[in-house]
Amino acid sequence: MASISVTVNGTTHQVEVEPRLLLVHLLRDVLGLTGTHIGCVVGRCGACTVLWRGKPVKSCMVFAVQTDGSEVTTVEGLAREGELSPLQRAFWEFDAAECGYCTPGMLMAAQGLLQRNRTPTEAEIKRAISGNLCRCTGYLNIVRAIQAASIEISEEDDIRVF
Amino acid sequence: MDQPDGHEGIGARARRQETERFVKGAGRYVDDIHLPNQAFAAFVRSIAPHAVIAGIDLEAARQLPGVIGIYTAAELARGSASVLAPPGIAQCPLAADRVRHIGEPIAVVVAESRYVAMDAALAVTVDYDALPVVVDPEQAMAPGAPQLFADRPHNIIEELHFATADVDRVFAEADHVVHARLRSQRISACPMEPRAVAAAYDPGADELTVWVSSSGVHGVRSRIAQALGMSEANVRVIAPDVGGSFGAKNGVYPEEVLLAYLARALRRPLKWAETRIEHLAATKQGRDQTHEIELAVRRDGRILGLRDRIIADMGATSRPDNSLTSAFLYMSGPYDIQTYQVDAYGVATNKAAHGSVRGIGKADAAFVLERTMDIAARQLGLDPIEIRLRNFIPEDRFPYRTATGALLDSGRYHACLRRAAELAAYEQRRREQAALQQRPGVRRGIGVSLVIEPTGAARRNVGGGYGACRMRMELSGAVSVFPNIGQQGQGHVTTITQIVAEGLRLPKELIHVYDSDSVFSPYGPGTGSSRSSVTLMPAVHVATDLLRTKILRIAAHRLGVEPGELRLENLAVRSATSPDRSLSLREIAQIAYLDIDLLPPGMEPALEVTGYFVNPNIVYERDEMGRRNEFMAYPYEAVVAVVDVDTTTGAVDIVKYVSVHDCGVMLNPRIVLTQHLGCIAQGIGAALYEELRYDEDGRLLNGTFMDYLLPTVNEIPDLVVEHMVTPTPFTPLGAKGAGETGMLSPPAALGNAIEDALAPLGVEVRELPYTPERLRLLIKAAAGAPSRAARDEEDRRG
Repeated sequence: MASISVTVNGTTHQVEVEPRLLLVHLLRDVLGLTGTHIGCVVGRCGACTVLWRGKPVKSCMVFAVQTDGSEVTTVEGLAREGELSPLQRAFWEFDAAECGYCTPGMLMAAQGLLQRNRTPTEAEIKRAISGNLCRCTGYLNIVRAIQAASIEISEEDDIRVF
Repeated sequence: MDQPDGHEGIGARARRQETERFVKGAGRYVDDIHLPNQAFAAFVRSIAPHAVIAGIDLEAARQLPGVIGIYTAAELARGSASVLAPPGIAQCPLAADRVRHIGEPIAVVVAESRYVAMDAALAVTVDYDALPVVVDPEQAMAPGAPQLFADRPHNIIEELHFATADVDRVFAEADHVVHARLRSQRISACPMEPRAVAAAYDPGADELTVWVSSSGVHGVRSRIAQALGMSEANVRVIAPDVGGSFGAKNGVYPEEVLLAYLARALRRPLKWAETRIEHLAATKQGRDQTHEIELAVRRDGRILGLRDRIIADMGATSRPDNSLTSAFLYMSGPYDIQTYQVDAYGVATNKAAHGSVRGIGKADAAFVLERTMDIAARQLGLDPIEIRLRNFIPEDRFPYRTATGALLDSGRYHACLRRAAELAAYEQRRREQAALQQRPGVRRGIGVSLVIEPTGAARRNVGGGYGACRMRMELSGAVSVFPNIGQQGQGHVTTITQIVAEGLRLPKELIHVYDSDSVFSPYGPGTGSSRSSVTLMPAVHVATDLLRTKILRIAAHRLGVEPGELRLENLAVRSATSPDRSLSLREIAQIAYLDIDLLPPGMEPALEVTGYFVNPNIVYERDEMGRRNEFMAYPYEAVVAVVDVDTTTGAVDIVKYVSVHDCGVMLNPRIVLTQHLGCIAQGIGAALYEELRYDEDGRLLNGTFMDYLLPTVNEIPDLVVEHMVTPTPFTPLGAKGAGETGMLSPPAALGNAIEDALAPLGVEVRELPYTPERLRLLIKAAAGAPSRAARDEEDRRG
């Protein structure tokens, strides 16, 4: 077992983990953050996407021990004081979710993009979510939602950076 | 009805309520359920496609720390799963002595953690004595083929025949007979949430609770109760948030029964979450039909008769699903064809069992018919739109009885296809096409299709013929709603809330819909066949009316007026003539539950009702010819697709995709549109990318997301979608069902467009999917010998 300290959504956790424990299982099974979903465990579907050191990663492709001393943000960390983030609001407003299973991963991939680039082109948006599969929406509403959020965010002075 | 301020009633573009928790990451799916003292299960699955199990060595696995137990069919038969020794399990869902496909469950491991359970499953060694394998259904029917089931000679598990009397004569006398052999490929539904089960047993109460990622809780409950020898009443099945199904989560799976059994036997809460590799290998798979179809046609393109022979690959199962029937009954699609013969065979092979995938059976039928229409048009030198317009059932002939007895409720097929052509600028694109063929290495093709989609299946022994909804107004005036069909992402909660809000003039915040739980959901068949709009939603409407009527009657009695004089609005009932005479919903609820002496004489207490809706458009009983109507409504869609095919790589670029969709009245147009867009995207996957590929030895070649290709955002073009509204006359709401039709069109429309592009090169595209590999091979092969299509094309131009 290894002892690690990882900060998730601003809260630091000291945990003992098996070296082989995947980050996604740390989040879900140990920390109880079940908003991050599992769709394939081979890094192909993106349902488990989180931000690690500010960048989107598939948390089934990262060992928990690798995150020792670093920061992770999950979908549960997007809303601030109960208020939905611009991206979450846009996903709701533009019907970018149906069954909701891919949604947290899509949101985190998009959040990662918007933190690097407030005004992405459609091509950049598509590239950013091309590793995230959705089986319900056909993606068009997701792209529209990210575009709408980007417009809102680009008009703000400050975008939250984790 | 008037739309009062702030209400979001029937037909409103209401925002989906469900989405709020999903964007927060607050959805609750089965694998999110953590029960105290929970153990985890993992399955040992066959790596042999067809074999006798010679031995199973569990010792190494048992030695692993954290393993609680490992169970095979033999052990379960002995009832040794627990020191408490419950009776053995009936119909053991584990392979006992023989496996028939890759992925079939052989043993189940229970361990203290997810990882240990999977370690132990890998440590189990199974000895297989290989048996001969058959993966081609036509070979499986041939004499001498390996037999999967002793009681299914020639591996035929289902056989269906239907013929009108005049078929031979009509074919003999026809100007021309069009023949085509077309094959739909095997695909996986692939909801983003794989299957999952959690189970817990309360020995004191003898109650078993099972959480399952499923489309229908009651069927799962019945099977579990039967297998475990428990009373159905002591088994509770709950489907919490379900991350998509698309047919894959219909029915009952062995893992669901086993987890329930072991949770009771071991007195431990248990959980299992399917991996994607398990999903692709063992969850039911769809499509995979081969058709030999013939159309008898007149020179002017009028179809006089249809003859088809269907061979359906049902995989390793001895029990047919409804795929073959759905294709068998609907081969004539939107066309007026009364001369009809179909012979259909469902055949067992060494692949995973066949089952529902969005558009089951009907997608195969639509693909085959709509491809054949284009082949006919090419052979006759007709425009593909023109040949369809000459054969569509005219508007004034609805409801229209098909040759097989289906009663098509309503349709404006001519208008629908014409509108799609208009939106796509079809004429102009046709004119431009010749010039575009001058580009090096690229060919332009235009394809059209019009598909109908039977919705709301109901049959003897299977059910599905009605919707039910229980509804209770609480003392506060809030309303709890219990529908008999749950959701897997369709937005039912929002739609149901709209119907209740309109009927009772309530703000949506006072309405709460409880999703699938066998304890309080009325009995139901599960979500499927797009039946919610044609059964459940009308039942919600009926329940709302019952509740409203009772509320008004109580108020009328108390206020001393006629019910017809009363208005229900703003959480109160008041007289239209003297508005000072009113009672609040709270006051009425108090009378109904507490002060029941104030009720009208003879009225039962409480404000709790159950509404039923029996859809009238079903004919259960077959006539002497075998005709019946198994579906309630028939939404349809016209598509015009424009593609560029790269003749060097075989890659297909969708230049334009126009859909005109008619699903009757849209209870929430926003939800319909969102579902339809996603449905088209799945259809594009099924047309261009997806195929479960088994080699001749029965091995699944692409059993992970590394090689089973689902469309990503980059594969979906901009879609042009428009809706027509032709209400079905058979329900009070006029909705026909939505959420499947869009998936039927891409294999047909894109296939037509691709063959339109490549026919001058002599290419016939008759198998799905249209991958670059397949198209490139066809283009190369055609460069050698001109095909029938090329000759037809030449004839037409010459």
